[in-house]
Amino acid sequence: MDVPILSLLILIPLVGALVTLFMGGERAGKAKFVAAVFSAITLVLAVYVMTVDDLSTLTENYTWIQVGALTMNIIFAIDGLSILMVFLTALLVLLAVVFSWGEEDRPNYYHALLLAMEVGLMGVYMAQDYFLFYIMWEVTLIPMYFMISWYGGPRRHYSAIKFFIYTHVASVIMLIGIFALVFSTTYGDFSFAAVSAAAAGAPLSEAMQTFIFGLLFFGFAVKMPVPPFHTWLPDAHVEAPTAGSVLLAGVMLKMGSYGIIRVCLDDNIFNLAMANWQMVIVVLGVIAMVYGAYACIAQNDLKKMVAYSSISHMGLVLVGIGCMSVIGTEFAIFQMFAHGIISGVLFMVCGFAGHSFGTRDMRLLGGLAGKFPMFALFMMFSFMASLGLPGLMGFVAEFGLLYGFWEFLSANGLEVLIVFGPLYMMLTAGYYLWAMQKTLFGKLTDKIDLEHSHDLAKYEVVAIAVLCVFMAVFGIMPSIATDFIMPYAGIIGGLF
Amino acid sequence: MMEYVWLVPIFPVACFVLAGLFGNKTPQGGGYIAIAGALIAFVLSALVSYDYYSSDLYAAGEAFEMSMEWLVVGGYTLNFGVYIDSLSCIMMLFASFISTLIFVYSIGYMDDQGEKKRRYYGEVSLFLTGMLGLVISSNYLEMFVFWEIMGLCSYLLIGFWSYTHPNGDEASINASSAAKKAFLVTRLGDVCLMTGLFVLLYAFGSLDYSVIFTDAPAVFAANETLVTIGILLLFAGVIGKSAQFPLHDWLPDAMAGPTTVSALIHAATMVKAGVYLVARSYPIFTQSADAMLVVAIIGGVTAIYTASMALNNMNIKRVLAYSTLSQLGYMILALGAGGYLIATGMDTGNQELIVLGTAGYAAGIFHMINHAFFKALLFLCSGSVIHAVGTEDMRHMGGLRKQMPITAYTMLIGSLSIAGIPVFSGFWSKDLVLEAAFAPFHHGLGAGSVFCLLFILGMITAFMTAFYMFRMWFMTFTGEPRGHCHGESPKPMTVPLIILSIFAIGSGLLILVGLGDFMAQSLAVGMNGILAALGLEVEIHSAMHIAEEIFTNVWTYVAIVLAVVGIGIAYLMYVKKPFVAENFDETKKGAIYNLVAKRYYFPQLYNQISWKLGYGISRIVDVFDRKVIDGTVNGLSNAVVGSGDGLSSAQTGYVRDYASYIVIGVVVIMAVFVLMVYYGGGF
Repeated sequence: MDVPILSLLILIPLVGALVTLFMGGERAGKAKFVAAVFSAITLVLAVYVMTVDDLSTLTENYTWIQVGALTMNIIFAIDGLSILMVFLTALLVLLAVVFSWGEEDRPNYYHALLLAMEVGLMGVYMAQDYFLFYIMWEVTLIPMYFMISWYGGPRRHYSAIKFFIYTHVASVIMLIGIFALVFSTTYGDFSFAAVSAAAAGAPLSEAMQTFIFGLLFFGFAVKMPVPPFHTWLPDAHVEAPTAGSVLLAGVMLKMGSYGIIRVCLDDNIFNLAMANWQMVIVVLGVIAMVYGAYACIAQNDLKKMVAYSSISHMGLVLVGIGCMSVIGTEFAIFQMFAHGIISGVLFMVCGFAGHSFGTRDMRLLGGLAGKFPMFALFMMFSFMASLGLPGLMGFVAEFGLLYGFWEFLSANGLEVLIVFGPLYMMLTAGYYLWAMQKTLFGKLTDKIDLEHSHDLAKYEVVAIAVLCVFMAVFGIMPSIATDFIMPYAGIIGGLF
Repeated sequence: MMEYVWLVPIFPVACFVLAGLFGNKTPQGGGYIAIAGALIAFVLSALVSYDYYSSDLYAAGEAFEMSMEWLVVGGYTLNFGVYIDSLSCIMMLFASFISTLIFVYSIGYMDDQGEKKRRYYGEVSLFLTGMLGLVISSNYLEMFVFWEIMGLCSYLLIGFWSYTHPNGDEASINASSAAKKAFLVTRLGDVCLMTGLFVLLYAFGSLDYSVIFTDAPAVFAANETLVTIGILLLFAGVIGKSAQFPLHDWLPDAMAGPTTVSALIHAATMVKAGVYLVARSYPIFTQSADAMLVVAIIGGVTAIYTASMALNNMNIKRVLAYSTLSQLGYMILALGAGGYLIATGMDTGNQELIVLGTAGYAAGIFHMINHAFFKALLFLCSGSVIHAVGTEDMRHMGGLRKQMPITAYTMLIGSLSIAGIPVFSGFWSKDLVLEAAFAPFHHGLGAGSVFCLLFILGMITAFMTAFYMFRMWFMTFTGEPRGHCHGESPKPMTVPLIILSIFAIGSGLLILVGLGDFMAQSLAVGMNGILAALGLEVEIHSAMHIAEEIFTNVWTYVAIVLAVVGIGIAYLMYVKKPFVAENFDETKKGAIYNLVAKRYYFPQLYNQISWKLGYGISRIVDVFDRKVIDGTVNGLSNAVVGSGDGLSSAQTGYVRDYASYIVIGVVVIMAVFVLMVYYGGGF
């Protein structure tokens, strides 16, 4: 490959971010065009990557830091685990830009932050070197922090700092895990492949494996987030602007589950630790699923409800990961992709409600379906997709993951616990339907300023509709996505 | 032609898209598009059915099957395809035919709905896709997909007036909670059904009908408990969808939707999906006699329990809703009894029981077909009445026979049919249902006494049915007018009534010309392989012979007498005795009357349970989340930083501050590790 496609996936948004950043003053209004062009080019490249037959030909390797035994190189690669995440990132950033077309508050910084986040996200999903991975992980953190603290709601400072401290503490612990791993296997070479090969040759002791696994897992779990380390997420979402929420829920949370699958499920390194942690992961996943769903029912703020639903849906991903089987991994990845697309719409719709109606408090809303049909249509569509309506992609993920869960339980003689699956599905249907009833149906509210409320603007409809089409396409033909995933999931499943 | 059967659901879904996008640019908001789609689906169904009937497959007792790979799940392959046997043909035919008539009727009934018609016709077309897709699916997962699409449409259509209701905000609120209730209660069944699919997939390694039907005996023998649980979980889905006890309570509330929707979804088609699933799954359900006994008991209990609530209801649509529940109970009872006979027959190698079981199976399906016609008719008649008088309360009707004769007499035909008066269609199938319930007792099988009880309940139900139907008819159409009436409904509404009433009279007679064989053939398709291994077979013609001997059975005459007595009592109570307002004063009635009128306090029970298990726990979670988890976090951070003010003043808002914290942190940690590794000799 002559053209370094993967580097371009990072460089193009980076250039875009710098260009928009310096479009101050009168040119600030034009920043959205620049952002749209740069993110569109990135998306085109990401789609091109999906058409490449042999993904390994895209791998890029640049020498970076070599001091004594320390080897930290820039290695980018894409495989069945990351390809959908890369596509999702490119897609959501472009649509976030489109959805924010009406943003008038310092639009140049706003778009620069979106593109900067894309840089970090692409880096996380493509890095094949622990140090690079960590750097990119931190890079995603900073723009999100500013997104919340500059463009957020009334409690934005509290939320932003909470977001920052939580995820930063987690990533420092993850970093300790990385160092412990690297310095006990390769003694300085940070590349994924080298660490994996060294560990395969000279396996770590079980205690060491279990300890390092725990450090890394903690770092990833906070990001997902897994209760009880989740409370930063609802606060961050409530205060974040819509585009920030879309990226936060759509692709940033997936960094956590991606990291677990990528690093913690490496059988060369953690062949003994995985069995020790398996039950913990599944139990945490089930807790997240059910706890998150219950928390949703109690919420009055639409966006906070959707934030808790993310916790619940990511819990299902964690259950799939914990199964450590082909099915579990296949659909954990599929659910990461599906939830990315669905939660994008969820946050767009709920964010829009806040802008248009001046409140997202369901106690103040009601009967809006008659007056705002587009809003009602897309709210129902995305809620139905999220509660797992067959025909849309959420169902495929849910079916596969819960089946994987069932298989795991059967293998361990715990069949009865499958009851958490139906419970989760019932609760999910419950809070979404109740929310629709409170928001869209019944008596038209008189507690909001209906005069100045408006339905979705054209550019907002475009951004949402594109994602809705994806939900249906991947719901009807999920094999488009699973064909990418299966080769990778097969590797994980082959281990057991 | 059979290979084009997938076109059958394609046309309605195309109409959904067309009506949804462009409906308002066409006359009647896309109504004609929807009618065209349903009509084409019906014509195609007829062609496919004829093609199958005249093919070698039919004669050989085999299904037409065609499928392609849809999704690879780990080591399993899930398919997407079509499966045609006589059961699919019957379902396709009556679903598309009745839909066509109801869509035509809607032109009149929904005429005044303006912009909302587009939504209506789009959703009913999507619904029809779900129903037709369901019956031609070749595996359980595909079936489940269409099953849920119907559930969605049911939700949307019950909630058709959940905002801006013509009768005001109160009615809007009712419609929206009825829609929610319908979705959630059926969802409870659906999640069990989905878990049942997991069990089947795990046990069989496939969800294809053909695979499961072939392997059923071997897999069941290997893992009896698991498969029985799987069967019962599937049946839980049926309980939700076909509104059986104890998940029946959503259906009466679902009457908040337009009457056409009640006729189509909540009487003629969707609620039959559960019955269809039981019939379709016979090869696996009949492996377990215990499971079939459960099925029969649920059916029998539902039949009488729900019929009792129709006895004193004042709302014309609700009477019909309870009646639907009760009739669905009959169908499930017949299928349960038939399945129990077959299961026992297979255990004991008794061919006679297989023959009786086949008759029970056919009785269930037969009643489903007849019920689809007469109940659609009754609902549409009630719609016509409601259209004319503007209320659903029978206390404000009366004497309408003269003003709307077509509605009155077609509804009379429907009522006679459901009451089980000879020659009308309901008579034939209801009698076969009761016969099937009686058979296990008659042949002294293990659970015979249970079936004897179920048979008696069924007989009492037959009496109640005749009573409440004629109570309704007399209250509505005889006596003095008690309210305002616009007169007979327009032609698009009355013509479907007349067509349906012809079927309500005649569809039962079809059993005399071979419909019974056609119905029983699908059982042979599913089960002959299993039975052959035991030296048994589905004897179609002997089974139908039983049906033809209806008039030699003494119980037939008892049932007729009960029905006539029921009508007579209704006549005495509601026609002979002049109308006195106090008779209808609910506050002065006795305890039993109120118990029934309050639906045995089931709605309150549901509310209590769902409120406690849902909202109650969620409040605890919420408090725990905010006070304990977040409280700890905030407490910790205050302890570290000094105070909450310290926390917020720590953020100074400069990129380089945070970037430098990170860099410093990284460097320090790395230095520690490097020192440890190089100078400390590792960990």
